[in-house]
Amino acid sequence: MKATLILLCGLALASPAAAQDEPKLSIRPFVMGIAQSFTAKETFDAVFEKHTQSLFGGGVQVVLWDRFVAEVGASRAEMSGERAFHSGDQNFRLGIPLTATITPVEVTGGYRFPLWEHARPYVSAGVVSYGYTETSDFADAGENVDTRKSGFVFNGGFEFRLHRWIGASAEVNFSQVKGILGTGGISQQVGEDDLGGVAARFKLIVGR
Amino acid sequence: MGSLRARSLCATLLAAAAFVLSAGAQSPGRSSLQIENVGLPAIEENLAISGDRRGPGSEQVLRRAARAASEKTARLGGGGRSYTAGRVIIRFNDGVAAADRRAAARLASPSAELDLQPSYSDFDVVRIDPSEDAELVAEALRERPDVQYAQAAYRVHPTFVPNDPQYKELQWNLPLLNLERAWDLQPAAGSTTTVAVLDTGVAYRDLTITVNIPAFTNDGVRYPPLGRQVIPYAAAPQLVGAGHADRIVAPFDMVSNGLNPPLDFDGHGTHVSGTVGQLTNDGQSVAGVAFNVKLMPVKVLSSFWDVLFGNGDFEGGSDDDVARGLRYAADNGAKIINMSLGSSGPPDCATAPSKSGCAPAIEAAMRYAVGKGSFIVVAGGNEFEDRDPQFGTNPTSVIAEIASRIDGAISVAAVDPTKKRAFYSSTGSYIEISAPGGTSRGFGRGGFVFQQTFDFRFTDTFDPSVVPPSQYTAPRFDVFTNIGITGTSMAAPHVAGIAAMLMQQGVTAPAAIEDVLKKTAVDLGDPGRDNEYGFGLVDARAALRGLGLAK
Repeated sequence: MKATLILLCGLALASPAAAQDEPKLSIRPFVMGIAQSFTAKETFDAVFEKHTQSLFGGGVQVVLWDRFVAEVGASRAEMSGERAFHSGDQNFRLGIPLTATITPVEVTGGYRFPLWEHARPYVSAGVVSYGYTETSDFADAGENVDTRKSGFVFNGGFEFRLHRWIGASAEVNFSQVKGILGTGGISQQVGEDDLGGVAARFKLIVGR
Repeated sequence: MGSLRARSLCATLLAAAAFVLSAGAQSPGRSSLQIENVGLPAIEENLAISGDRRGPGSEQVLRRAARAASEKTARLGGGGRSYTAGRVIIRFNDGVAAADRRAAARLASPSAELDLQPSYSDFDVVRIDPSEDAELVAEALRERPDVQYAQAAYRVHPTFVPNDPQYKELQWNLPLLNLERAWDLQPAAGSTTTVAVLDTGVAYRDLTITVNIPAFTNDGVRYPPLGRQVIPYAAAPQLVGAGHADRIVAPFDMVSNGLNPPLDFDGHGTHVSGTVGQLTNDGQSVAGVAFNVKLMPVKVLSSFWDVLFGNGDFEGGSDDDVARGLRYAADNGAKIINMSLGSSGPPDCATAPSKSGCAPAIEAAMRYAVGKGSFIVVAGGNEFEDRDPQFGTNPTSVIAEIASRIDGAISVAAVDPTKKRAFYSSTGSYIEISAPGGTSRGFGRGGFVFQQTFDFRFTDTFDPSVVPPSQYTAPRFDVFTNIGITGTSMAAPHVAGIAAMLMQQGVTAPAAIEDVLKKTAVDLGDPGRDNEYGFGLVDARAALRGLGLAK
């Protein structure tokens, strides 16, 4: 345990020679593409016949001393499916169109490990606020959903420098957001209450 | 003198017995009916007669595509109501010039184009970029002093109310199930589904029947023999009226083992079939639940006239005919089977199925039918106030109890117009769900379930409470009107009709249909399942609309 801590501290404090040229403060906008696998697998499978979805978004990072990073990002996805029933281990789709939009906005802070000149492993954590709307045909006023709830998020990945001003990163993201699913609909039927999930995210970053 | 009377009575009884025996002997296959396939059409009265005659106990793809296209232009408003993107409705004060109106619209939205007062309107329609928030644009316009109102073009949907003239007057039962809004969801109302009605038969053909009507005694009144009679028989116009004869599928009479067509000589089966799928929105009579279903009449019950005509040994039915009827229906494509029938028996057939009074033959047939993909609906029983000499008061309805143990079969209790359990509706752990069965207490005519069937003043001529014995004549089965009846027999076909619509909507597994009906029912009585209402009152709209992710 002690050895692990020493190793982590060593990694954190290590500074390759090239890094000495990095600016103290860097503000870097980015765009991102996300492939998310939702934790509420049965719920999404019932309505959309899949539980993965791509989201697109962007944000801005602030990097201090090439090590500390704060990030604000937002993304959005719209999914079309059908209202359905889950019974036993079967899903029955009822031909009534349903559209759901998910708009996560997240604020995270993390640390970049300056191990190599052109690659930075990093970890970050923070809060995420999920905006969620659900509309379907023949809905009464109270039967559509428009809500926003918060949860937490963890990220870990690598940033690669493609050019002096262009970087790219690939990261794994884990989020958990409760309070939207689980109180009604199929999610309640199958006992799923988390709108978060695991995602692979790819960012194109502009800035040093 | 006394001895003479006794001898005379004996002679009469012997003569009667001899007649019955000879009638049975001369009718192998139980039939003494002579049926000719010609007959005049029915006489339709469109009256409303109620009486407490409780009986024994890929079109879809196109629809989806159209709706998906429509959904693309829908946006969710702040109040939760959807609106059509790209459109704002605005009413300026009188006298505001067109140029000023256009300028005002442009101020609220740079993309605004004005449709000045479309036909039949006193308002303008502002066309905006569909990506703009129409509610925000409307809000900006409302703040102008020259604007009376401005609003997004909120979405509306059809609310289908049948135009059958006596629907609103007589049929409290269909709105009680939220059916009008279910019909909005599925205007085809079960058109691809076949519902088998295991009952007293159905009036589905125009015929002429020649029978020999013997003497009989009923309610202590002796009725004379009428001899050979030619009896008119007609199809119920509201089941198989003009152009709808093809909705009758594979009819079969279990009582005569197929020798005779499954003709209804009682009215019960025709009434039940009417609740399942009486023709609707045709400007006539009353409505049915799944009014486009195909109907499979399977006769398993005999009526008074069946017995007298020699087409049955006794009134009612027996387990073998019912079990055979179930298997026949399943084998011939019925996806829903309605059984508005029942029988009292021991309460513990689940644990002691070979006990006297249990019905293992019916249970096996029900499991067979469900295994073939048929969903079964069973009347819960009308015996709450009855006292059975063997099984006591509120005896268990054996077939309903079997249904409660099979995923894919459901037992149905009856409620009155106020959603209270009908006084007769049996209670017990086997009751699974509720539907309108009506009541003869407290609501007058408004408590009955009305459908078109025989006008029993022309059929029940054997009943002294209907026709004075002095006016006894042969019955005729070609006069139809709206008859009010009550019972769990009437409750069950409501559920059968909704199940047919549910199957058409996409829930194709019998167990899943049961699951959906229970989970979407409106809870009545004690919270959760209870012995009076089961899981509650069926909600047709909720069942057909299904669930979203979060709501």
